[in-house]
Amino acid sequence: MSESLSGGAMGSVEDADFLLSTRGAGHELGAWVVSAAFGRDGQGAAFGLGDGTLHLADPAQPAAPWRKLEAHDGACLTVVPDFAAGFLSGGDDGKLLRVLPDGSTATLADFGMMKWVEHIAAHASGLRAVGVGKAVHLLDKGGATLKTLAHPSTVGGVAFDAKGKRVAAGHYNGVSLWFVNSKEDKPRVLPWKGSHQLVAFSPDGTHVVSTMQENALHGWRLTDQQDMRMSGYPAKIKSFSFTAKGRWMATAGADCVVLWPFFAGGPMGKPPMELAGGDGVLCTQVACHPQHEVVAAGFQDGLVLMAEIGSGKIVPVAAPGRGAVSALAWNATGTQLAFGTETGFAGLVDLSKRG
Amino acid sequence: MSETSDTIPVTVLTGYLGAGKTTLLNRILTENHGKKFAVVINEFGELGVDNDLVIDADEEVFEMNNGCICCTVRGDLVRILGGLMKRRGKFDGIIVETTGLANPAPVAQTFFMDEDVKRATRLDAIVTVVDAKNLIARLADSTEAEEQIAFADLIVLNKMDLVSEEEAAEVERRIKAINPYAEIQRATKSAVPVESVIGRDAFKLERILEREPDFLTSDEHEHNDEVMSMSFEVSQPIDAEKFNAWISQLLQAKGQDLLRTKGILAYKDEPNRFAFQAVHMIADGDFIGPWKEGDPRKSKIVFIGRNLNRPQLRRGFEGCVASPGVA
Repeated sequence: MSESLSGGAMGSVEDADFLLSTRGAGHELGAWVVSAAFGRDGQGAAFGLGDGTLHLADPAQPAAPWRKLEAHDGACLTVVPDFAAGFLSGGDDGKLLRVLPDGSTATLADFGMMKWVEHIAAHASGLRAVGVGKAVHLLDKGGATLKTLAHPSTVGGVAFDAKGKRVAAGHYNGVSLWFVNSKEDKPRVLPWKGSHQLVAFSPDGTHVVSTMQENALHGWRLTDQQDMRMSGYPAKIKSFSFTAKGRWMATAGADCVVLWPFFAGGPMGKPPMELAGGDGVLCTQVACHPQHEVVAAGFQDGLVLMAEIGSGKIVPVAAPGRGAVSALAWNATGTQLAFGTETGFAGLVDLSKRG
Repeated sequence: MSETSDTIPVTVLTGYLGAGKTTLLNRILTENHGKKFAVVINEFGELGVDNDLVIDADEEVFEMNNGCICCTVRGDLVRILGGLMKRRGKFDGIIVETTGLANPAPVAQTFFMDEDVKRATRLDAIVTVVDAKNLIARLADSTEAEEQIAFADLIVLNKMDLVSEEEAAEVERRIKAINPYAEIQRATKSAVPVESVIGRDAFKLERILEREPDFLTSDEHEHNDEVMSMSFEVSQPIDAEKFNAWISQLLQAKGQDLLRTKGILAYKDEPNRFAFQAVHMIADGDFIGPWKEGDPRKSKIVFIGRNLNRPQLRRGFEGCVASPGVA
């Protein structure tokens, strides 16, 4: 893969920046970009930063000025799409904010100054899950707390399944699965020794995968509770993403994009596929396209690219040199891509434009 | 452990409940030094902490999945330090206050084991506040009090106004029997100069054996479960391969008992000093620049721990001496 990037047609930095410069724009925002997100309704893109600010952009006009909001007193820790329009933002000031693309902001919950609101998930049905300390709070459309789910240790990540029926929380020694509408709140605990952080369900809801404190992922097949150990990474895995139909799971944490096959009996006993590797630079973020078998990836040196899984074809989006990629997201239809870096650069590319 | 200058220094404050940790913390925070700190406290803190950026920690001790039971880290610290890195530039250092009953090993090991923590921060020093009046009783009834002293780089011997000179001398004698390498600062109401606490760089390999302790040469009592220290010296050059083989095997077998190990080694045909340190089984080492002109090239190793077998350790270390011969 490396030849297509470092030599030949894509040889120079200007070439690698072709998409960013012709179909997008980048802004220096001045602080660590923690999250990038698009509104579920296609309106608005948001970047959450380590200085507590949010930056709102119109994804159809990336080059237009972005709106800056002083959102959190401290750091913004995560921004995700809300259940409909707008975003949910969590900070180390204990606040859960709802932010609309026009910049209007409401505090949905305040957990107190020393509590960190670091893990948020929302489902199109209107449900929101917020991990604060050892608790996961489930909130309804209006922001009222439906229930609070307790865990044995601090929650490292939360996720809904595709239907919004279950919520998963990663913690020390396993992942807890909760039925959202259950009368009796007793989790199904998926055990595995060690500290589990980010979690996700496969799109068909048959598998749960977590990232671990070690350089590994762990997965469970829910039908028979089979364990899947995905190890051998040179670094911690900060990001992973399933393709739209769930055939592949892309992960960061290696000097390439690692893709585990979730078909034909995999990933058990199947080696992963590697894409866009070869130059020894760590992949830090991945985001699968919401429709096609295409994965966007960001690297330690700032390179952002897209790779087609079937053909292995690679298209650069942004050149290296602007800091390690720390945030990466597609919009819901897969026409726009947003990314941000540890040194405060944020980029937005609109691939739907022609010419 | 990362040694680059863009890592953020972390000072760990330990000590028993009521020893004066929080008083020391507030002293550091309010003194006019122009520095800003992020402070990580435990949720059962005794007193309020006077600072803008205070984070509540849960002291979650996690085992690493590497089959080694003493390889524990503070999971909450990994998370908090990771989060703090996202707001870099807003503070100059981080202070972590532990609960009175905390074992310092997982805190120290976090700085060796977790790659993200290693990349962004460095352990500056472990500072243990002890109560001069009550320390001897604490040593008798808890292993944590001993371990907090064993791990300390600086011991603030607090509440000096409550003890006589004889009592203070006896407490110091007990401290030195456990850890002769820690500096002891006597204090009343935790009043010690801030610069003696912050910015010590005690975990930097260059400073590993900077202090020459007043040795308690007698092998007075070597009860098995008591924490003590032993040091050994050889003046012949060390064979690097032999040393590696011996120390890895030793840490593997005795890591649980060995709280801290530190050494400066003169390898055969090597102009630079090799510095070595370990917390339980987790070791770190590197060359740290040449021996000073005229200084004797003596290799020295120090063990602080339990169940130390002096003859065995001595034989082991002496067995690392390089065979004489032409270079």
